[in-house]
Amino acid sequence: MAAQNSHKSFQLLLLLSVFVVATCGLIYELVAGTLASYLLGDSVTQFSIIIGTYLFSMGIGSFFSRFFNTNLIRWFIQIEILVGLVGGFSSTILYLLFEHAAYFKLILYLLVGLTGILVGLELPLLMRILKDRIEFSDLVSKIFTVDYIGALLASIIFPLVLIPYLGIMKTSLFFGLFNVLVAVFICFRFRSDIPGSRFIIIEGIVAIIFLVLGVIFSESLLRMAESMAYSDKIIYSKSSPYQRIIVTKNSEDIRLFLNGNLQFSSKDEYRYHEALVHPGMLNVANPKKILVLGGGDGLAVREVLKYPEIESITLVDLDPSIIELFKSNSLLSDLNKSSLFSKKLTVINQDAFVWVRRQTQLFDFVIIDFPDPSNYSLGKLYSLSFYKELKKIVNRKGCVVIQSTSPYFARKSYWIVNETLLKAGFNTLPYHCYLPSFGEWGFVLASPTALPTTDIIPKIENLNFINRETFQQLVYFPPDMSRVPSKINTLNDQFLVQTFEKEWSHYTQQ
Amino acid sequence: MISRRNFLIKGIGLSSTIALASSYSGCSPKIDRRETLRGPNHTLGHKLRTGTFPKPTQIIKTEVAIVGGGVSGLAAARILKQRGIEFRLIELEDKVGGNSHSDKNSVSSYPLGAHYLPIPGTYDKDLLSFLEEENVITGYENGKPTYNEYYLCFDPKERLYINNHWQEGIIPVNGVDRKSTEDFDKFNELVKKFKALKGSDGKEAFCIPLHFCSDDPSIKKLDTITFEFFIQQHKLSSPHLLWYLNYCCADDFGGTISTISAWAGIHYFCSRKGSASNAQPDAVLTWPEGNGWLVNKLMKYAVKETTTNSMVFQVGYENGKCIVDYFDAIKEESIRLVSEKVILATPQFINQRILSGTLERKIDYAQFSYAPWMVANIKCSNHLEEKRGERLSWDNVIYGSKSLGYVNSNHQNIQLFSDRQVITYYLPLTGADSNAERKQSHQRSFKDWYELAIEDLKLPHPTIEHSIEEVDIWLWGHGMIRPSVNFISKTSFDASAPIGQKIFFVHTDTSGISIFEQAFFVGTQTAKMITV
Ligand SMILES: Cc1cc2nc3c(=O)[nH]c(=O)nc-3n(C[C@H](O)[C@H](O)[C@H](O)COP(=O)(O)OP(=O)(O)OC[C@H]3O[C@@H](n4cnc5c(N)ncnc54)[C@H](O)[C@@H]3O)c2cc1C
Repeated sequence: MAAQNSHKSFQLLLLLSVFVVATCGLIYELVAGTLASYLLGDSVTQFSIIIGTYLFSMGIGSFFSRFFNTNLIRWFIQIEILVGLVGGFSSTILYLLFEHAAYFKLILYLLVGLTGILVGLELPLLMRILKDRIEFSDLVSKIFTVDYIGALLASIIFPLVLIPYLGIMKTSLFFGLFNVLVAVFICFRFRSDIPGSRFIIIEGIVAIIFLVLGVIFSESLLRMAESMAYSDKIIYSKSSPYQRIIVTKNSEDIRLFLNGNLQFSSKDEYRYHEALVHPGMLNVANPKKILVLGGGDGLAVREVLKYPEIESITLVDLDPSIIELFKSNSLLSDLNKSSLFSKKLTVINQDAFVWVRRQTQLFDFVIIDFPDPSNYSLGKLYSLSFYKELKKIVNRKGCVVIQSTSPYFARKSYWIVNETLLKAGFNTLPYHCYLPSFGEWGFVLASPTALPTTDIIPKIENLNFINRETFQQLVYFPPDMSRVPSKINTLNDQFLVQTFEKEWSHYTQQ
Repeated sequence: MISRRNFLIKGIGLSSTIALASSYSGCSPKIDRRETLRGPNHTLGHKLRTGTFPKPTQIIKTEVAIVGGGVSGLAAARILKQRGIEFRLIELEDKVGGNSHSDKNSVSSYPLGAHYLPIPGTYDKDLLSFLEEENVITGYENGKPTYNEYYLCFDPKERLYINNHWQEGIIPVNGVDRKSTEDFDKFNELVKKFKALKGSDGKEAFCIPLHFCSDDPSIKKLDTITFEFFIQQHKLSSPHLLWYLNYCCADDFGGTISTISAWAGIHYFCSRKGSASNAQPDAVLTWPEGNGWLVNKLMKYAVKETTTNSMVFQVGYENGKCIVDYFDAIKEESIRLVSEKVILATPQFINQRILSGTLERKIDYAQFSYAPWMVANIKCSNHLEEKRGERLSWDNVIYGSKSLGYVNSNHQNIQLFSDRQVITYYLPLTGADSNAERKQSHQRSFKDWYELAIEDLKLPHPTIEHSIEEVDIWLWGHGMIRPSVNFISKTSFDASAPIGQKIFFVHTDTSGISIFEQAFFVGTQTAKMITV
C-alpha cells in the first residue's frame, strides 16, 4: 500500500514537472518573441521566426534524447535546472547585449534554440521514465494533456498578468526560479532513488541563488542595459542633477542624448536650428536683445550670432553641465562655432519659469528650445501660465519661437501648443520641417501684436536651409498634420502631457 | 527615426528620476536630524482646567471682543474691520490660524493642519468676494469665476499606492475585482442622485455652507443613522469601497463610517458644487503652506487688534455689558475686556470652561467628540525612491493604511527641479473613543510617532529614512469635530444659539463640520448680523 502510494505521488510529481516545463518553456518563448519585437521591431516577423526556431529546436532535443540511456531521472532533473537557468536569464542577457551586436540576432536565436532543445529533451525522457509504470496509451494521453494545458496557461497569463505587472525581465527570472525550485523539490523527494542527488540539489541551490540575485538586482541591471544601449561609441557620459547626458560619435556624426532621448545629430542639426532661429529673427524689424531658453548646446546661439547687429544674447539653461560640455569639448565647440564664448552672451543657470516670472526687461526675440513635454514637470513650460509670463517679457513688436514637438508623431500635442499660445494672447504662425534624423518637426512662431509673416527676406548669406521660398512651404501643413481643434494646456490640467504620452506610446509600440 | 531605445527605457519601467535618485542615495541614515514634537499650547490649556488666574489689573473697553483667532474668528474680524467697528481679538497661541496655521523651514512653507480649499459654489458669495479681494479669483467668464492658475492644484493631483504600484486617482482601480467596480458604480449613482436632490423647501439637499442645506425632514432623517448603516442598506460591501469611504470620513471628520452620521457622510461626497471657468467642478485651491495662506490674508484685518499668547479664562455678563477676562502669558497678568458683544470662536470644550456659570446654555457638552490628529512634516534631502507607476503627486495615498498618506508641500512650485522637498503626512486617530485616543496619543514620544509614520511611508518609499533631514511632528489633541448621529441636526444646532443676543458662537463645532468654508461663513455672517 505504502509502495503504491509513493508510486502514485512519484507519477504525479513528474507530471507536475511536465506541466511546469511546458508552462515555463512557452513563457521563455513568448519573452523572446516580445523582446525581439520591442528591440528589433516588426513583431510579425519576430514572433514567427522565434516560434519556428523554438519548435524546431524542440525537435532537435527530442532527437537527441535517444542518446541518454542511464540515470534518466537524474538527467531529467538536471536538464530542468538548466532550462530554468537559461530561460530565466534569457531576457537579462538579451537586454544587456542589445545594440552591441551585429550578433544580437544570432544570440537571440541561439538562446531560443538552446531553450527549445532542452525543453525538447524533457518530454521523451519523461515518457521513457514512466513507460514501465503506466500503460502506454494512458501515459501519452496524460503527458500531452498536461503539456498543452501548461501551454494554454502560459499564453493567457503572459499578456494579461505578467507583462503588465512584472515586466519582461522579472517574468523570465521568476519562471526560471519556479522551474529550478520544482526540480530541486523533486530531487529532494526522491533523493534515495537518484544517484548523486546531493550534488544535483547543491547545483539547484546555486542556480536558485543566482536567479534570486537576478530578481533583486534586475532594476540595476536594467540601468546598466540602458547605458549600454547606444549603438555608437559613447564619447561622453555624465549624470548631472537634472539629467543624464550622453554624447556618441561615429564616423559620420555626433549625437547628443538627454535621458536617452536624441537631441540632435550633427549631420542635420543645421536644418533644425536654422528653422528654429531665422524665420523669427527675420520677422522682427530691428532685433537687438535676444533671449534663448533651453538650448545650452549653443547651436541656436550660433545661428543668432550670424546677425552682427545683435547687441546681447541671454541664455537661460538649468543645467550648467551642458554648457560646460559644449564649451570644453572641442568637437562640440567646433559644432557651435564657439558661440558660448561670445562676448555678447550672458549665461544664466536657472529654472526658466522662475526666471521669466521675475523679469522686467523686454526682449525682441525669444527662442524656446525646451525638451518635449514628456512629463508633468516639463509640461509646466508649455502651460498657459508660462506663456502669459512670457508675453510680459516680449517687446510689442517682437517675436517668440517655440519648438513644439512633432506635428506628425504627436499631432494633437503640437496643436495644443498652438492653441495654448493663442489663449495667452499671441498671434501664431505654425510651421514644420523635415529632419532626416528625427522626422517631421514642428515650431510655432508667435507675436504679441501682428501676425508673423511668411514673407521673409534673408539678410545674411550662406544659410543651407531657410530662405523665403522654403519658409513659405514650411507653413503649409498637409492633411495628415493639419490643425486639429483641442483644449489648452494649463498647470491644473496638463492636457498636453497626457496627450503627448498617449500619442508617443502609440507610435513606439507599433 | 524614433529610437526604440526610448521604448526600451520606458517600457521597462525605469524613469530617469529613479536613475537619478539612486545616484544620490545610498548614504546611511542621518543622525543629526532635526526632530520636534509640538502641539497647541499645553501648559496654558492645562492651567485652564486646574489653575487659578490673577485678578484683572486693567480694563479695556471695546465694541466687540473676539475670542479665538482661528478661521472663524478671523473671518468675523475682517467684517468688523471693513465696517469700521472697534474690536479686540484674543488668541491663546503665539500666532493666529488655529487648525489652519502653518510653519516653514529652509525648503518650504508647510501646513500644520488644513491644507486645501475646494473651489466654492457660486452661492457662497462672501467667500467669493474674499477670494476676489485676494486675487485668487482673477475675473469672471460667462458668470463663472476664473481662478488664479498658480493656486489651482497642479497636475498630477492624486495617486494611490495599491498592489505595489502607484495608480492615478485615489479610487482603487488597479487589481480591483468586478464586485468592487460594481459597488463603486452603485455608490456613484447614489452620489449623483443626492447631489441633484432638492428638499421640499426647494433648497439643495447637500451643499456648503451647511446653512443653505434643506431642512426637509426626509433628508434630515439621514442624520439619525450611521453612515455605515446607510451603506449596508444599499448593499454595498466591497472592501475597496469601504476602505475608500473610511478614508474620506477620516479626511474630513477624523472618523469612520461607523462613527459619523449618514447625513454627514453623504454631505462629504455630495456638497461640493464648485464652478470655475478654468477648472473642473471638483478642483481645489492649495498653497505650500496650505490654508495658512488664507489665514495670512485674513490676519491683516486684525493686526493691531490681535493679542496673542493670551488665554481667555472667563466670559460673563455684568450690568448690561460683556466681560472677557484673559491671562497674558508674556506679561503674566490678567486683563478684562468690557464690550457690547462677544464672538466666541473657540471650541465648545473650551467654552464649557470659560463661560461663567450664571450663563444658561441648552447644550450637551458630552456629545462633542474631537478626533486627535498627528501631522508630520518631513524634510527630505533628495527625491524619494519611487515604486512603479504614477509620479509624485499633490496627494499621495497608501491603500489600506490608517493614515491619509501625504501631501507634497512643494507641489505648487513652478520650478522643475528642487533638490529637497517637504512632505506633510496626516494621521487622524479615528478610534470611536476619542478621549481614550487622546490620552494615548499624549503619551506617545517623538520616536513612537516617527516610527509609526516611517513604517507606513516605507511601503512605497523603502529608503525614505536615508534622506530625512527634519521631522516636525504636530499633535492636535482636539483636531476635528466628529459629526456623529444627531450631532449636526441637534447638538451643534443647539450650540449655535447665542446667549441673549450678546454672546455668539461661531466655531466650526457649532456647525458639526470642520471645514474652511463653514468657519468663514459663520464668522462672516455673525459679524454682519451683529453690526446691522
Ligand atoms: C489636521 C487637520 C487638517 C485639516 N484639514 C483641512 C483642510 O484641508 N481643509 C479644510 O477646509 N479644513 C481642514 N481642517 C479643518 C479646520 O479645522 C477648519 O478648516 C478651520 O481651520 C477651523 O477653524 P475654527 O475657527 O472653527 O477653529 P480653530 O481653528 O479650532 O480655532 C480656534 C482658535 O481658538 C484658540 N483658542 C482656544 N482656546 C482659547 C482660549 N481659551 N483663549 C483664546 N483663544 C483660544 C485656538 O488657539 C484657535 O486658534 C483640518 C483640521 C485639522 C485638525
